[in-house]
Amino acid sequence: MGAPRSRSPRLEVPSYMQCSTRRMGIMTDVHRRFLQLLMTHGVLEEQAVKRLQKHCYKVHDRNAAVEKLEDFINNINSVLESLYIEVKKGVTEDDGRPVYALVNLATTSISKMASDFAENELDLFRKALELIIDSESGFASSTNILNLVDQLKGKKMRKKEAEQVLQKFVQNKWLIEKEGEFTLHSRAILEMEQYIRETYPDSVKMCNICHSLLIQGQSCETCGIRMHLPCVAKYFQSNSEPRCPHCNDYWPHEIPEIFNPEKEREAGISTSNKKSLRSRQH
Amino acid sequence: MPRGQKSKLRARAKRCQGRSETKGLGGAQATAAEEENSPSSASPLLGDRSQNLPTAGTRSTPKSPQRAAGVSCADSNEGANSQNEESSDESYCEDPLNEKVVLLVEFLLRKYQAKEPITKADMLKSVIKNKKYQFPEILKRASEHMELAFGIDLKEVDPIRHCYTFVNKLDLTADDMVIDEENTPKTGLLMIVLAVIFKKGNCATEEEVWKVLNLMGVYAGKKHSIYGEPKKVLTQELVQMKYLEYRQVPNSDPPRYEFLWGPRARVETSKMKVLEFLAKVHDTTPSAFPSCYEEAMKDEEERARARIEARARSSAMATARAKAKPSSSSCPK
Repeated sequence: MGAPRSRSPRLEVPSYMQCSTRRMGIMTDVHRRFLQLLMTHGVLEEQAVKRLQKHCYKVHDRNAAVEKLEDFINNINSVLESLYIEVKKGVTEDDGRPVYALVNLATTSISKMASDFAENELDLFRKALELIIDSESGFASSTNILNLVDQLKGKKMRKKEAEQVLQKFVQNKWLIEKEGEFTLHSRAILEMEQYIRETYPDSVKMCNICHSLLIQGQSCETCGIRMHLPCVAKYFQSNSEPRCPHCNDYWPHEIPEIFNPEKEREAGISTSNKKSLRSRQH
Repeated sequence: MPRGQKSKLRARAKRCQGRSETKGLGGAQATAAEEENSPSSASPLLGDRSQNLPTAGTRSTPKSPQRAAGVSCADSNEGANSQNEESSDESYCEDPLNEKVVLLVEFLLRKYQAKEPITKADMLKSVIKNKKYQFPEILKRASEHMELAFGIDLKEVDPIRHCYTFVNKLDLTADDMVIDEENTPKTGLLMIVLAVIFKKGNCATEEEVWKVLNLMGVYAGKKHSIYGEPKKVLTQELVQMKYLEYRQVPNSDPPRYEFLWGPRARVETSKMKVLEFLAKVHDTTPSAFPSCYEEAMKDEEERARARIEARARSSAMATARAKAKPSSSSCPK
């Protein structure tokens, strides 16, 4: 996933902030509560993040004006920087929803999961991850994952157990399941992009538009370049004859519709309806 | 392929060690140039920052893209991070410790989220490793970060076995969890058990606990849709997490068991909080349980006293430190 260049807020620091007068971040209990709760949830969609922010203001500082989310997060990130921790923004790969997670940048491994899972469970995740990355569609079938159960490190695990563990991964927002197949949750992509790019440099796929890690997406049948669904939607916006940005061949896939917060609010369409209408690309 | 953050973190620490003689703008500028050259699509990393480095313009800590011009900027972020600008004399040698501090904070955050108690041995093994003798300093700095950035306090609950637990300075309530309902519900079960124990004079037999839980439709051996298998949760999980103590009633034959508050419960909640919870459940107020209320009030007084003493101690230490500073440099060798 990783969105149109998983927008690290620092890229937009205006020039006047580049010298020693740079305003530094101030942490108050509003920010701390926000961080604790974001950490508890693992990953949150933007609307939930905004509600969370308002809630934190309500608890600690009723009369203060709620800061614009981007500035609020920039503020937090400036204080967390020295700890190699960041509130990172990404975008869901299937429908382009902005999501946020607290990401630790100091260690590149799946250590974030280590506290919740046993050794053999972590290894199952690694095996599933590898299958997902190697796959064309970005999905690994349950059967294929379970067939690897004998190769796991640590205590022996039976297939029945492994099915439960996979469900645990889904509950903890590391994997998404669709019709018996598994792919990475946006949380996993946000937290592990670094780890994935380093561990699987040859098989990892990248989006031609945003240059971030790509798990699910569309690809050009002629030249093979790939794009995220939200990136495709944005790139070919109102283009009646979409062509591959690389080889100029006709783009053979349906241009997806992605999340637009204003449209959704106006139409009052529930998000779950939208999801079920769209079939998996590729 | 961009270098891993961990290797960047280590490389920086190594560079710092080597550079401890070349303090000043020169050294810092060299780092700035180095930073620009390493391709980085990941989040910007800071340069050689440690809370204790001098703030006057000698440090330049490039933050990737917008600083590509190599402009050396005084890193004013220190103010927010460090609340103990203790000494401006500390050399860059402090910096290699910074790597351990960062890793320890990550470790502690993971343990916090898993609601696991931490031991010194654990920390030494997983994070500190070869810097054993600097453990106190590393732990101190990591705790300060945790407190400043997250509002989470690290407290030693067992000074003999060096066990620690976390105390949340922010009062998280059910309202905070409204955004996402999937949060671990075991806290509810725990609060009920703590309340029963408290009400029964700080020690409740297993039968007494189950009597109350059965009234709520929670039975030993019967998997509950929210709580899981209750007996396992009470006698294993919550005990392992040090929220409860589960022991055999002395001289009981056949063996019977009883529950008490665990050390973690004592640190993370209070008799008054549990009584308030109990009162809410019964749709009344804490004073409806007079003897419990009295005991809870006494407990609150003791805690307040302990807090005041602790604050007095730490401010006395801070004053002592501040007084000691100027004389240290003029001390004849």
